[in-house]
Amino acid sequence: MVQSAVAMTVVLCSFAMLFATMFLGYFLLRSNADVWPPVEIEGMPQGIPLVSTVFILLSSVTYYFFEHKAQAKKLLFSLTIVFGALFLLSQWLLWGSLADAGIFVSDGMVPSMVYDFTWLHAAHIGLALILLFWLGFFVFFKTEKLTKLKVINVGKFWHFLGVVWLLMYLLIFVL
Amino acid sequence: MAFVEQHIHDEPKTFWSKYIVSYDHKVIGKQFLWFGIFFLLVGGLMALMIRWALAFPGEPFPIIGGLMFPHTGGVIPPDTYAMLFTMHGTIMIFYAITPILIGAFGNFCIPLLIGARDMIFPTLNMLSFWFQMASGIILLVSLCLPLGAAAGGWTSYPTLSTTLGQQGLGQTLWTISLFLLGVSSTMGAVNYITTIITLRAPGMGYFKMPLTVWGLWLTSILNAIFIPVLGAGLLLLTCDRIFGTTFFLAGAAATSGKGDPILFQHVFWIFGHPEVYILILPAWGIVSDLLSFFARKPAFGYKMTALSLSAITILSTLVYGHHMYTTQMSPLLTQSFMTLTMLISIPSAIFFANWLGTLWKGSIRFTSPMLFAMGVVFVFGLGGLTGLYLASASVDLYLHDTYFVVGHFHYTMAASVLLGGFAGIYFWMPKMFGRLMNECLAKWHFWLTIIPLNGIFMGMMIMGYAGMHRRLYNPFIYEFMNKLIPINTFVTWCAIAMGLAQGLFIYNFIKTIFFSKKQPLASNNPWEVGTLEWQIPSPAPHYNYKEIPVVKCGPHEFGNPNLTTGRDFQYQTEELVD
Amino acid sequence: MNFSLVERLQGILAQAESVADTASKTYSLWERMLPPEDISSTGHLITWLFNYTTYVNLFWFALVCIGLFGFAFVYSHKRHKKAYYTHGNEKKHLLITAFIGLAVFLSVDMVITKVSSRDIREVIWNFPEDSDDLIKVQVYAQQWAWNFRYAGRDGEFNTDDDVVLLNDMVIPVGKKVMIQMTSKDVIHSFFLPNVRLKADAIPGRFAKLWFDTNKIGKYEIACAEMCGIHHYLMKAHLTVLSEEDYASWLNEQEEIAIATNDTENPDLRWGWAWGSK
Repeated sequence: MVQSAVAMTVVLCSFAMLFATMFLGYFLLRSNADVWPPVEIEGMPQGIPLVSTVFILLSSVTYYFFEHKAQAKKLLFSLTIVFGALFLLSQWLLWGSLADAGIFVSDGMVPSMVYDFTWLHAAHIGLALILLFWLGFFVFFKTEKLTKLKVINVGKFWHFLGVVWLLMYLLIFVL
Repeated sequence: MAFVEQHIHDEPKTFWSKYIVSYDHKVIGKQFLWFGIFFLLVGGLMALMIRWALAFPGEPFPIIGGLMFPHTGGVIPPDTYAMLFTMHGTIMIFYAITPILIGAFGNFCIPLLIGARDMIFPTLNMLSFWFQMASGIILLVSLCLPLGAAAGGWTSYPTLSTTLGQQGLGQTLWTISLFLLGVSSTMGAVNYITTIITLRAPGMGYFKMPLTVWGLWLTSILNAIFIPVLGAGLLLLTCDRIFGTTFFLAGAAATSGKGDPILFQHVFWIFGHPEVYILILPAWGIVSDLLSFFARKPAFGYKMTALSLSAITILSTLVYGHHMYTTQMSPLLTQSFMTLTMLISIPSAIFFANWLGTLWKGSIRFTSPMLFAMGVVFVFGLGGLTGLYLASASVDLYLHDTYFVVGHFHYTMAASVLLGGFAGIYFWMPKMFGRLMNECLAKWHFWLTIIPLNGIFMGMMIMGYAGMHRRLYNPFIYEFMNKLIPINTFVTWCAIAMGLAQGLFIYNFIKTIFFSKKQPLASNNPWEVGTLEWQIPSPAPHYNYKEIPVVKCGPHEFGNPNLTTGRDFQYQTEELVD
Repeated sequence: MNFSLVERLQGILAQAESVADTASKTYSLWERMLPPEDISSTGHLITWLFNYTTYVNLFWFALVCIGLFGFAFVYSHKRHKKAYYTHGNEKKHLLITAFIGLAVFLSVDMVITKVSSRDIREVIWNFPEDSDDLIKVQVYAQQWAWNFRYAGRDGEFNTDDDVVLLNDMVIPVGKKVMIQMTSKDVIHSFFLPNVRLKADAIPGRFAKLWFDTNKIGKYEIACAEMCGIHHYLMKAHLTVLSEEDYASWLNEQEEIAIATNDTENPDLRWGWAWGSK
């Protein structure tokens, strides 16, 4: 059913545009700002975003091996879900530590952007986790219906979100 | 791409599965059509109320005025006026044109015209309709709120659209319902794109598709890419309103942190400009086909037309800044947007020339679909050319936010799309509902629509050049506009005439669908046209094609001198005679 | 009083006729269609470009109409029984369509792009240098009024002696006027119909506009961006005086400002230092 591959590509183009708009907003913010980093995001936590990045990268790695290796498929798949859930948990902690550092949504455009961007991404991770659970049904129970195409399609979505996070991490927290 | 044949599933039996939760693209298309026509009437009523307030200020609105505005004796108050033009724009664009041209025609026509049994994802298709329905309900609810519906213009620029300018739930519900509509459109876009790529009948290369399908395909590509941009903008606006973010807050609105209202304008118009092409592309496709069908000769320069439409699609993504000249972007940016906007003239002129080339040396039958299609050629020619005034940054500094703009976009969006939509409805009615509509009423409908239509929108452009600007409850507070009162009144009378003329359509439509049981069903091919859907019975059976057709020639094979069958056209399944 | 619908419509018609009568006493249809009087030295650029665009548009649209109506007449089924079978994809057809596309582009788009670019670059957004002869006004838009600020006797903006006016802008004829503007709350747009210009007043940003006038008189200023319920009431007055009258008016205003400005009121200090934006 190559149609689903085409459809997933189109869907990813759409989601890419959603995130691209956020990146555009962030880019405009930064290029127009007189001083960077602005005072509103002083004290931005650096550790937790790094942990998030590690979790999501690990989850992509385990999924890649799940796709391509013949053994330990169920273990690798479960690890993907675990790392994905840990990513979400680390995002939750990130929002908490942002508040602890005194950075709130209403402080200005940059904090608003940081919160909103991470909310949007986390919402998509939530969606992707649901997709993973759906796929998990086939991995663990109806293995005869686990087609390569299903795996590739979900993989595309998962890796896409990983790439988006990487870009976000680099542009917002590192640079 | 490997073609996959969809299997024929059983016909749905219950009322519920046949008409409410149907997976059949034809039924979903009709659902969108009813939905769209309902909102077209709501939006049209709002337009008449706006015109009434402008031409007869202080006069109570007839018949329903007293019921709606008891505290003013039936006169439309200023805050309601603001809601009216906001909702008129929103409803016409997102709840009338989108469901009719893209939802109804896209759904109904795409599988039939490409020889498929249904859309590739029928469940997604059904969900797309119900999301649109949810969106429509939320919008209607917002009209009944105590503080009223959104009233910041359909463009809802912040900071007017933040909680500073629009307190109350109306604007928030507006934003949410548009977001849901965006989700519905994106679902539809994914479906249409994938269906066209993967389900075309064997033999139907991209350049053998009817141009209607080209228009719908290009629209869907733009939809898939740019609706999420609107979605992001709406999300940010909703966050500003509900969660206290400060993306677009500035000035008095920025009580805690500061943002940039112009960011919204950029995001909105990055979506907004492709959106207007999204709205017109299906109509262009339909007109391109109908001109060929009823001139009984092939579409002139088919490939060039398809490529021009594609070029316009691409260019439309690069020109959005021409909506923002008055925000004083850098001169370099302003001039770049101006130059890119001007480039769109080239492919536009090319496919226009091709339209006229299709009529040239044809043998034209003036059926109602043809009249409407030719009407589109007229109004879009006019409307498109008036865009050139607005593309010039210097002239735009005078004309921006005047009625000139209103006249321009109504000519290109409302007039062209409406006439194209009517053309499509009259044309595909037998395939949709089984019978042809009454030709005599249809022709009266055409003339009684197009003549006042020109009066309205040409009048608006004249008023705009004379300096009358937009969204004014009472323009005649300004002395320089008082001389425009008679023109204004003339526009309103034309609007009333055009509004009343639509009664002919509604009567014809309802009668043909529900009250024509005594008349026999139409034949398979009452218009004598060669595209695939006219080889199956009218109305189309639930499985569309018993055997998937194999396409051998193009969709516009009319008037071939080597034809010997007594017909003057070839079906797409026949080998090209030479 | 309870009028029937018919009587009401009759009343409206009578009203419309009487308005039309009064209006038509002074204006012909053509006069109604004209924009407001152009009192600026730069407005003619816009009028010229508008007219040029109209002429070329009329030319090309006339061709479209000749094609549309002409072909509809000559090639109707009754008159032309057999259609001419061509796909329009032969070389000569492609050349003709390409030629038409280019001809439209060169005659219309190229010309108006060049002219408009030049006008924007060299005139409209070519802001005058700071000089003593330049009339400087700061404009503060708010829901739903226009505030104007002149520097006052000390020549500095946002000081206690500034001349601050509500909905009234007064300028001398023949001199260049430079405007800096912003908005207090929502986006407004400063529209001068008689000068053929507008610029958006955006909260959090500053916009610039320059113009000059060549005719004394009273004109209107409008708000051209939806800004709320009373957007239609945001009318201000532009008064153009002779240089002597302006000088004496300004003098008088400066005296009044020094005497009566409420220096304790923070709302009075909405201005900003001129050169800083």
